[in-house]
Amino acid sequence: MFELLLRPFAAVGNLTLAGLGTMGRAWTLFSGAAASVRNTDIWTPHLVPQMARIGVASVPIALFIATFTGIVMSLQASYTLTGAIPLYFVGTLVGKTMILELGPVLTGLILAGRVGANISAELGTMRVTEQVDALETLAYDPLAYLVVPRVLAGVLMFPIVVLLAISIGILAGWFTALQLLEMSSSEFVKGLRLYFAPWDVWFAAIKSVSFGAVVTGSGCFYGLHTEGGAEGVGASTTRAVVVACMIIVCLDAFWAAVLL
Amino acid sequence: MERKREVMVGFVVVLGLAVAVVGSMWLRDGFNRGQTRLQTAATSVGALVPGALVKFRGVTVGRVESIAVLPSGEAVMVDMRIRPELVIPANAGVLLAPESMFGEWQAEILDRTEFGLPPFLDYPQEGVLPGAALPDFSRLTATFDQIARNLTTISDRVEVAFTEETALNLKGVIDNMSVVSDLLSEIIEQQSQRFETLADGVDESAQELGDAARAARLSFERFDSLLTGAGVEQMFADAGESLSNLRNITGDVGSTMTDLREAAQRVDATFERMETVLTALEDPEGSLGRLLGDPAFAEGALGALNEFRGLLADIQRNPGRYLRFSVFE
Amino acid sequence: MIRLVDVHKAFGAKQVLRGFSLDVRDGETSAIVGPSGVGKSVLLKHVAGLLRPDSGSVFVDSQSVPDLDIGELNRLRRRVGYVFQFAALFDSMTVARNVGMGLRRIPGWDGKRIAGRVEECLALVDLEGMGARYPSQLSGGQRKRAGLARAIAPSPKFLLYDEPTTGLDPVTTAVIDRLILRMSDELGVTALVVTHDMTSAYRVADRITLLHDGRARFTGTPSEIRAAGDRVLRGFVEGDPDLFFASGSDDEMTHEGGGYQNGA
Repeated sequence: MFELLLRPFAAVGNLTLAGLGTMGRAWTLFSGAAASVRNTDIWTPHLVPQMARIGVASVPIALFIATFTGIVMSLQASYTLTGAIPLYFVGTLVGKTMILELGPVLTGLILAGRVGANISAELGTMRVTEQVDALETLAYDPLAYLVVPRVLAGVLMFPIVVLLAISIGILAGWFTALQLLEMSSSEFVKGLRLYFAPWDVWFAAIKSVSFGAVVTGSGCFYGLHTEGGAEGVGASTTRAVVVACMIIVCLDAFWAAVLL
Repeated sequence: MERKREVMVGFVVVLGLAVAVVGSMWLRDGFNRGQTRLQTAATSVGALVPGALVKFRGVTVGRVESIAVLPSGEAVMVDMRIRPELVIPANAGVLLAPESMFGEWQAEILDRTEFGLPPFLDYPQEGVLPGAALPDFSRLTATFDQIARNLTTISDRVEVAFTEETALNLKGVIDNMSVVSDLLSEIIEQQSQRFETLADGVDESAQELGDAARAARLSFERFDSLLTGAGVEQMFADAGESLSNLRNITGDVGSTMTDLREAAQRVDATFERMETVLTALEDPEGSLGRLLGDPAFAEGALGALNEFRGLLADIQRNPGRYLRFSVFE
Repeated sequence: MIRLVDVHKAFGAKQVLRGFSLDVRDGETSAIVGPSGVGKSVLLKHVAGLLRPDSGSVFVDSQSVPDLDIGELNRLRRRVGYVFQFAALFDSMTVARNVGMGLRRIPGWDGKRIAGRVEECLALVDLEGMGARYPSQLSGGQRKRAGLARAIAPSPKFLLYDEPTTGLDPVTTAVIDRLILRMSDELGVTALVVTHDMTSAYRVADRITLLHDGRARFTGTPSEIRAAGDRVLRGFVEGDPDLFFASGSDDEMTHEGGGYQNGA
């Protein structure tokens, strides 16, 4: 009876301890990685390849998603804006939502799947096959060798990919407005410019930088903390993607509250 | 292999940055970025924001760059960038006004002589154009409301006492009222000019408001002449007519815009009460004599009148404080 | 020399090492035997500085490994080669690049010198001409040899072998064992071999230590091992689970052969 009463507290305590443990490990990893940035000789040769893998290779999928987002935004905006509100607000809606929200967040979520899973699976495999230990025995700092170039590449390339995605999304929305909504180019552009502020682009860039750090960081964290064999790699990959997505959504709200 | 990868990364980075920079510039200025700096100062800028269009004779010639309250707090300085080839007319002023019903404002460069109201702020600095922000509809509503309240106060007191002095005071009020209604009708006309491109309904409303204000003024004039005129009997007869006139007008106003209805009803009620008072006065056995010797009333009425006058003066000076209208606000 | 003194290590609630002590003299090849999962690899990782003991000391070349800062540790690691159980070759690199990894961290080594040394090491493990291949294109035995080549490339003074013959056929096992001996003879390295393969241990080791219950249960030369009467040791060597797992009152014993006493 007494045991039954204690059980919920034990559960809460367990969860708290597990959460604190994860946070502690994350802190250890990332503060270590930050300290490892000074080992430039180890990570610099890997930065460009990682930028290619994380950034350039992600461009097609990001643009694909952005294209269809732009089309859908345009069509849905025109569907919503009937009657009293002029049609050029389609441009405003497409532009604002692409730049402020959908460009960074959708791209972030897609890349969490693509890049986060990739990193986590790669580092997880390296961990369980002792390649990470091997690095250490060969006098390579694994954080400098594995984590730093990946996180840096994410931080540098995410905004680039997102900016490209935003432009393609807006172009797609524009094209849709011309072809399917019988809007004129000047109408769409009028709407686009109506509430445009250059700060919006900075906002998108800042958001994407944080998303890049989160996606690559989560991939590295769960990858390096993989235990067991193939199953462990699968589990940590899933966790890396899920956690990255959750943090992205929370960060999105955070930035909106702090920066807007 | 390594080389190819480096080139790819470099290409994507440069492309991404270029798209962002060029895209932002294009969205902001449409590439015909104004080169000439133009400044204007106004007491208020309404809902103007940086990036708003600058227009001249209906043509977009630039954008608002920045808006800042002067350190002294006496005015707001608006920086604009306009096309370099534009020749600004000699007596130019900048009118800040809504571009459409949807909340966007614009800065229009115009010949100041064409616009008597609202008053342009002449800022004593070389190269700063005088500026003014147009009042807005919702402020108008608030003002109506305020006037109605004041009228109620006055007529309440009229009910209590009515002396010749009071009558004189009342005349003062009515003088003021006529000034106000002049003002209102002018403001409304300006607003309706602003909104000529808007939906017919809104335009019509503005027109009707203007008509109402004009008619109100006429009534007040009649009221005025009757108070200064000779025969008290004639005066009362005319007063009855004037009041019913006013009631019709306020009724019109009430049906014109739902926003205004409540305010108008209050005005209506006020006039009704005034009518009652005047009717009571028609009775020779009435209280006129009884009221003659009550100086307290005259003082109270005067106080109310001064209050009212102050309000009117303020409306005149800062119409923007009372008149604002936007679908999104 | 490699010296472990009273090393304790636990992972969570699981106590893996409970006071393990060991001495490996310079030039000697020492084998640690014991069934899978008793912490043999954990032991090796302590020596390489990959794990820190909860208590106890680990000395390599007179340096206390847990107390070294990262720079000193990296300098020490150049003198310690680690041969991983499954070779742990980097999948994304060619064999030659794998072997050259450690060399690239040594100041003053240029590409040409590295390439020369890589060829040398590949030849030493009979993998000449395989440098351009990727690990996935190698057989299990070849991978182990490539892993060995990578470990010996920086000319280490110490070599740590983690299950070098696990999963190999008897012939390949013999080849690897021969390589281990060759490293000791030709390079004069001090080696610590962790294995559960007694045949292999007899072949390569100067001394053999049985790791049991987190401690060194018995240490001796191969001949001493063959002659020893310790119940658990006999159970392990002969592959007799009844003997190995039986709980007896003879747990506390002292053994001949210049080895360590239990719980020393």
